[in-house]
Amino acid sequence: MSVMLTKFESKSNRVKGLAFHPTQPLLAASLHNGCVQLWNYRMGVLVDRFEEHEGPVRAVAIHPSRALLCTGGDDYKIKVWDIRPQNRRCLFTLHGHLDYVRTVQFHHEMPWIISASDDQTIRIWNSTSRQCIAVLTGHSHYVMSVQFHPKEDLIVSASMDQTVRVWDISGLRKGSPNQGGPGSSNSNGPGNFETFDTFSTVKHVLEGHDRGVNFATFHPTLPLILSAGDDRVIKIWRMSETKAWEVDSCRGHFNNVSTALFHPKHELIVSCGEDKTVRVWDLGKRTAIQTFRREQDRFWVLAAHPNLNLFAAGHDSGLIVFKLERERPAFSVFQDTLYYVRDKYVRSYDFNTGADIGLLSVRKFGSPYVPPRTLSFNPAERAVILTISSDNGLYELANLPQQAQGEVKDSSVDGKKGSGQSAIFVARNRFAVLNKTTQAIRDLSNSVVKSIKPPVQTNEIFYGGTACLILSSPTAVVLYDIQQQKTIAEINSPPVKYVVWSNDSSLVAMMSKHTITIANKNFSQHTLIHETIRIKSGAWDDAGVFIYSTLNHVKYCLAQGDHGVICTLDNPVYLTRVKGKTVHCLDRSARPRTITFDPTEYRFKLALLKNNYEEMLYIIKTSTLLGQSIIAYLQQKGFPEIALHFVQDTNTRFELAIECGNLDVAMETAREINRPECWERLAQQALKQGNHKVVEKAYQQTKNFDKLSFLYLATGSKDKLSKMQKIADARGDPMSRFHNALYAGDVEGRISVLRDVGLHPLAYLTAKTNGLDELAAEILEAAGLTEADVDDVPTFAASTLKPPPVVTPTTDLLWPSLSTGENFFDRALVNGQLEGGVEPAYVNGDAAAAASSALDAWAREEEVHDEIDPEEGGWELDADADGGEFQSAVDGEEAVDEDEELGAGATPGPSEPELWVRNSPLATDHIAAGSFETAMQLLNRQFGIVNFALLKPLFLSTYRSSHVYLSPYASLPPLKLHVRRNPSENAPSRVLPVAVRSLATLRSELSDGYRLVSGNKLAEAQAAFRAVLQGLLLVVLSSDEEAKQWRETVTAAREYLLGVSIELERRRVVEEEPENVTRNLELAAYFTQCQLQPPHMQIALRSAIGAFARANNQAHAARFAKRLLELKPDPKIVAQARQRIAAGDRNPRNAVEIAYDEFTPFEICAASYTPIYNGSPSVHCPYTDAAYLPQYKGTLDPLVQLTEIGAAASGLPAAW
Amino acid sequence: MDSSDLYNLKQQFTLSAYRALVQKDLPDESSLHYIPALIYKARSYIALNEPKSALKLIPEGSENVAVKAVASLARYVGAAGTSEVESALEELRDLSVEIEGDDVDGSERDKALVRVLAGTAFARAGEIEEALETLGSETEDLEGVALIVQIYLSINRPDLAKKQFDRSKRWAEDDLLLQLIESTVGLATGKDNYSNTSSFYTEQLGNPSLTSPHLLTARGVTRILRGEIQEAKSDLEESLHQQKGDAETEAAYAVAAGLGASKKSEADEIWSKLVSEHPLHPLVQDVNQKADMFDQYASNFTVPPQAGTVSS
Repeated sequence: MSVMLTKFESKSNRVKGLAFHPTQPLLAASLHNGCVQLWNYRMGVLVDRFEEHEGPVRAVAIHPSRALLCTGGDDYKIKVWDIRPQNRRCLFTLHGHLDYVRTVQFHHEMPWIISASDDQTIRIWNSTSRQCIAVLTGHSHYVMSVQFHPKEDLIVSASMDQTVRVWDISGLRKGSPNQGGPGSSNSNGPGNFETFDTFSTVKHVLEGHDRGVNFATFHPTLPLILSAGDDRVIKIWRMSETKAWEVDSCRGHFNNVSTALFHPKHELIVSCGEDKTVRVWDLGKRTAIQTFRREQDRFWVLAAHPNLNLFAAGHDSGLIVFKLERERPAFSVFQDTLYYVRDKYVRSYDFNTGADIGLLSVRKFGSPYVPPRTLSFNPAERAVILTISSDNGLYELANLPQQAQGEVKDSSVDGKKGSGQSAIFVARNRFAVLNKTTQAIRDLSNSVVKSIKPPVQTNEIFYGGTACLILSSPTAVVLYDIQQQKTIAEINSPPVKYVVWSNDSSLVAMMSKHTITIANKNFSQHTLIHETIRIKSGAWDDAGVFIYSTLNHVKYCLAQGDHGVICTLDNPVYLTRVKGKTVHCLDRSARPRTITFDPTEYRFKLALLKNNYEEMLYIIKTSTLLGQSIIAYLQQKGFPEIALHFVQDTNTRFELAIECGNLDVAMETAREINRPECWERLAQQALKQGNHKVVEKAYQQTKNFDKLSFLYLATGSKDKLSKMQKIADARGDPMSRFHNALYAGDVEGRISVLRDVGLHPLAYLTAKTNGLDELAAEILEAAGLTEADVDDVPTFAASTLKPPPVVTPTTDLLWPSLSTGENFFDRALVNGQLEGGVEPAYVNGDAAAAASSALDAWAREEEVHDEIDPEEGGWELDADADGGEFQSAVDGEEAVDEDEELGAGATPGPSEPELWVRNSPLATDHIAAGSFETAMQLLNRQFGIVNFALLKPLFLSTYRSSHVYLSPYASLPPLKLHVRRNPSENAPSRVLPVAVRSLATLRSELSDGYRLVSGNKLAEAQAAFRAVLQGLLLVVLSSDEEAKQWRETVTAAREYLLGVSIELERRRVVEEEPENVTRNLELAAYFTQCQLQPPHMQIALRSAIGAFARANNQAHAARFAKRLLELKPDPKIVAQARQRIAAGDRNPRNAVEIAYDEFTPFEICAASYTPIYNGSPSVHCPYTDAAYLPQYKGTLDPLVQLTEIGAAASGLPAAW
Repeated sequence: MDSSDLYNLKQQFTLSAYRALVQKDLPDESSLHYIPALIYKARSYIALNEPKSALKLIPEGSENVAVKAVASLARYVGAAGTSEVESALEELRDLSVEIEGDDVDGSERDKALVRVLAGTAFARAGEIEEALETLGSETEDLEGVALIVQIYLSINRPDLAKKQFDRSKRWAEDDLLLQLIESTVGLATGKDNYSNTSSFYTEQLGNPSLTSPHLLTARGVTRILRGEIQEAKSDLEESLHQQKGDAETEAAYAVAAGLGASKKSEADEIWSKLVSEHPLHPLVQDVNQKADMFDQYASNFTVPPQAGTVSS
C-alpha cells in the first residue's frame, strides 16, 4: 500500500457526514453549511443538492435497498428524502430530538431509523408510521454515534461520557411498540421515556477511553467492536453473550480520532482524525501500516463502501474517495489459459474447462498488503515474472509447477528477485527489467546480459514483438529494438499503461487512461481513440477486433478506428480473452467471470470493411437486431445499397433506393407510398440514369402530361404521342392537344385544335402553309369568309419545321447502366439463400457441423458395387466401419537427462543412427537408421523373412521419413537431423527413431481392407491385406497390451487374406472350370471357415448358401443358413435363411459330394486350400502362423510371399 | 545506407533471408559500408548457389583480403565437380596464411571473415580438420563459432559444439547469431524437446524487420523433430508457397508427408517429385544409395520357390 489511490476529490465546506450508495456510484455528503450533496464519484459530477436544514448537517445515511436518504442536523430535525431524480423531495421530517443530531442510520431490514443526539438519547423511528418507537437513555453526555448491528438485534453507541454502550433491542422487534406509544406531538415529556425502555436494555457498557468517544462500530462478521475517541486511541473490543472486554488499542493519532472502521474485506482498520491523517492498521497485529497525511484539513468522518474496496473521508474543505489498493489483478494470457494473481497466489484458469488452480504462492513477495502489479508468463519455460510496487518496485522470477500439486510452493523458495519498476519476458530465455535509471536484459539465471539506455524517459516497458520493447514515456510510446539498441518508431500518446497484442501478433493496442492507440507491429500505421471515461482493460477477438472495457462499458474498436458500445457494466472488469460471443474477464476481486454479448454489430462492420459479403449476408439473415444505427452507419460510410437490405420501412427504403440508384426498389416503394414528391424524385433519378420507362411511369403517376409528352418526343414514341393527344382531348386541354400534335408532327391535329378553340386565322394559316388548301378553304368557309377576304394575308412557304426523324427508336431501349442491382445481395436475397456461399464458420460462434462426408462416399461406393456384381446380385451388406478406433498409446518413457561422458578432440562421435541401432532390437529402427543389413537379419531371425524384394518400398519410405536436413548456416552442407520417436528423450543411450508406422494406422488400413471386402473388390482387398501384413512387420510396439493387439491384427489380416484368396480362387474356378462344381462348393465352404467379422461372415455364408442351393446340396445349404441365423442378420435375410432351412428339412440331401466336414475342426492349408483336420501334421508360416501341408515346408509362403514356410523364428522382441 | 541498414543485412544473412538480401541495392562505393554490404550480398549469392552472380558483383582487383576470399569461395562453389576446385582451395589456403602476416589490406574483422570463408570451403571439401584448424578453437568471431559449431555437429560431437557455444556466450552478449547457434545445437541434441529451437524460430518469425521463408522451413523441420507433423506440414506448405521449389523445404515436406497421417500414395508422389526435381539433394542421394545397398543385402537371402497354390 505504497499509495492511497485517490479516485475522486471535491472542494466544499467542511464535510461532517458521508454515506455510500450500496449499488450505484453515489455518495451523499452532509456539510457544515447545511447543504447535503449527492455525488456521482465515478463520473465526478454533483448529482443533486438537498438544502432544507438550518445549520450544519452532521448525520447522513442512504437506505440499503430503497432510494431514500436520511439526514439529521443541528436544527434537531431528521429528514427523509426521496433521491430519485424524477421526484426528489423531502418525504417527511421527524421531530423529537432536543439537540443536535449526530448520526442517523437505516436498519438493514426493518423500517427503522436510528439517531444519536446531543440530547443524550438514542431514538429509533418507524419510517412507515413516521413515529418515534423507542428512546434509549443512559448516556450521560452527548451521544456521538449510534449503529445497528449488521445482523443481530444490537446497537452500539459512543458518547462523550467516555463509554461505549451495546444495547439489546430484540424486544423492539417482538412488540408493536409504536401502538399506544406517545406520538411525536406529545412525547417531549421526560416521563414518557420509561415506556420505551421496556423494549431495550443496555447489554454492555464498555469503559476504557479516557476522553469522550466519537465513534463506535460493529465488525461485520466477528463479535468485535471498534471505537475511536478524543483520547487519540482506537480501541478494539470483543464481546460474548454475557460480557464485553477491551482487546487492544491502536495508538498513533496525535489528535482526536473522528472515525475508525473495519475494512469490509481485509483484516484492516481504517481511521481518520483531527490530526489531518487517514491511517491504516493491521487488525491482527494492531500496528500502523500506512498513513495518509493532508497539509491543512482535519478529517471529520470516514465511510466505507459496503461491497467495494472504496472509502470516503470528509475533511475541512471537502471530501476524498479513495482505494487502499489497486484492484486490477496481475494477469497474462497464453493460448487458452489465463495466469493471474488472486490473494497473492498465482493461479491458472482454463478458458475452455473453467478449471481454476492455484500454482504458486507469492505471499512473501514485497509488502504483504500489496498485490503484485503485473505478471508476465513465459510458455517456453513455464515461468512467470511478477512485479510489485512496494519497496520502490520489485520483481521476482519463478517457475510454475507442471501440474497442480497438493502443496502450493512459495515463490521465495527458488524465485529470483531484484528491484525494478517493470519486468517482462522478451524472449524464451530473456527478460527485461526497467529500473528508473537503467534498463537491463537478463537471462533466466537473473544475470545481466545486456544493458540499455532508453532513448526517452521511460516509466514502463512492454513486450514489443521479437527482440523489441515498447517503452512508455510521459508523452509517447517508443518501439525499441534491443539488438540494435535503437528506436524503430515513436508514436505520440499519453502515458501508456497497458499493452495488448492481437492473437496473431500483427496488431497491438496500447491503452492509457483515456486513449487507445492501435498500431501494427512496426508502428507504421496507427489510430488513436479517445474515451471520456477511464479505460480499464482490453483484449483482441479472433477476428482482429479490439474489445475493451471502461469503467462502465464494454466497447469494441476496429483497427481503422470505428468504435461503439457492446454492453454496459455495473462494476469495472478486466478483460482477459474474447472468444466468439464470450468475454472472459476478471472482476475486482480477481475472480474469473464471463460476459456473453452480441458481437453482430462489430462483426458486421468488420465484414463491411473487408467487403466480406457472405458474412454480411449471413449476419443479415441470422440476426434480428440491426436497427437504425446500423443503417445510419452504412449510409454514412457510403453503402446505401447494403443498408437497403436491412430496412423494412418504406419511406427509408425509398430514400436509400434513390440514393443508390436502385430504381426497381425505388419504383416498388414509390408505388406503396404513392405521393407526388416521391414520383417526382423517382422521375428525376430515373432520368439521370436514362431509364425512360421508369420516368414515364412516374410522370404518368403524377399526371405530368407536359413532361410526359416531351419524354415521348425525346424517345421518338409517336404512337404514344398520339395517345397523349387523345388523352388531352378527353381532358379538354387544347394546349396539351396542340403540344402533342406539334410533337407528333400531326398538322391536321394542330389545325383541328386551333379550329376547336376558335383560332381560325391560325388554323387557316397552318393549313395554308402546310399545303392543305382544301382544309384551308373549309376553314374559311366555316368562318364565313372567302379567299378574297384574306388577300392581304401574305403567303408563306410551306414550313420546313417538323419533328426530327427517329434515327434509333429508343422507345423500347434503355440507357445501359452498370448492373448495380445485380450485386451479391440481390442475388442472394432473391434466391432466399446463400447460393454456394460458405457459411462463415465463426460468425456468432455457431459453426455448422460438417456433414459426415465419409459416410456419404461409402454409401455411394456401395451403390456402384451393386451394379458391378451381377452374379452375386451384390453384397448389399454394410461393412461396419469400426476400424480406426484403436489408439496406440505410446507411453512417454521416463526422461533422463544425463550427459554423455565427454571426450576431447575433434574425432567424430557416434552418429545418431548408430545409437539407434545400438539401442533397439527392432528391425524397423534399424531400417530408420539405414542399417538395412542388420534389419534384414533381424527380420529373418524374428519372422523368417527371406523375400525382401517386396519390402523395399517400405524400407526406403521408413528410412527417408526418419531424417531431415536443414542448413542453419550459409554455404555449409546441410545438417542431417534425425527424427526421434520421443522428442523429450535425448539421452544417447535411449534415443530411438521415429515410429513411421503405427499400429493404429495399420489397423485403419485393415479396416479399409474390410471395406473393400464388403464392397466386393476382392483383388484390391487381397493387396490391402498383404500390405497390412507387410506393414505390421515394421511397427513399433510399446506395451504388452499393444503386442497383444498386434498379434490380433496379424491374425485378423491373415484370416481375411486367406478368405479372400479362397474366394478369388473359387471365382476363378467358376470362370475357368465351370464343370468343377465340387471344387467350387468346397472353396465356398472353406471361405466360411475363416475367422471373419459377423458382417463379412454373413457375406461368406450367403454366398455359400447360394452356391450350394444352386448345386442342389440342400442339406449343406440349410447348415449354412442356420449359421447365418446365429449372426442375427436383417429380417429380410432371416426370412430367406428360414426358407433355405425349410428347403433343407424337406430335402436333406446333398447332390454333390465334397471334402468338407464341418463337424471336425480343421485349418485350411493356405497353399492348396484344402483342409488340415486337427491332429494331421502341418507346418506354419513363421510370421503369420498360417497353416500348410507338410509338403510345403521350405518353400515361400504364398499368402504374404515373404517367409520361408516352417522356418524357425523368435518372434517380435519385447522392446519396451 | 547507414549502420542500421548494414545491421539489417547482417540480420537477414544470419537468418538466411538470402533472396531478400540480394535484392537490396549496394550503397555508394565511397561509403564506409560498401565493402561489408558487398560481402554480404556476394555471400548470399553463394549461399543461394549462384556463385556466378557473386563473382559478377565483386570488383576486379580489390585488395581487401575478405573480398578476395569471397571471390575464391565463389570460384570454389562454382567449380564444384571440376578440376578447378583445388586451385580455388589453394587460393583460400594462401589467403589464410597471408592474413597471419602484418602487411595485409584488411581489418581484424576482414581477417576473421577470411578464416570463416576458408573454413566454409574446407568443410565443404570434407577437410574437417583443416577447417577447424583454420578457424582456431579460440576465435572470438561469432561467425567462426557458428561454423565450428556446425562442423562439430556434423561429426556428431554436440558436446564440443556446446562447449564452443558456452565459451562464446561470455563475450557475445545477446547477439542474434549466438541465439541461432544455440538453436542449432538444440536441433542436434534435442534438449528439452527442442523447445529452445522451436521458440527461437517462432520468435524470429514474428520479427517485424524481416521475413524469410527459411525461418518457416526451419520451424517446420523443428516441428517434425518435435513430432508435430500437422503443424510442420502447414509451415512447410507456407514456406513452399513463398519460395517455390526450394530443395530443403521440399525435402522436409517429403519427410513430413511420410510421417503424417496422409495417404501412402500422396507421400510417394511428393517424394518422387523431390527426386525428379532435386536429384542432388543429400536426402535423395542418401536414399538412392540406400536403395542400392538394399538390393545388395537382399540378395544375400535365397528366396525359395513359392509353394504351389492351386491356381499357380
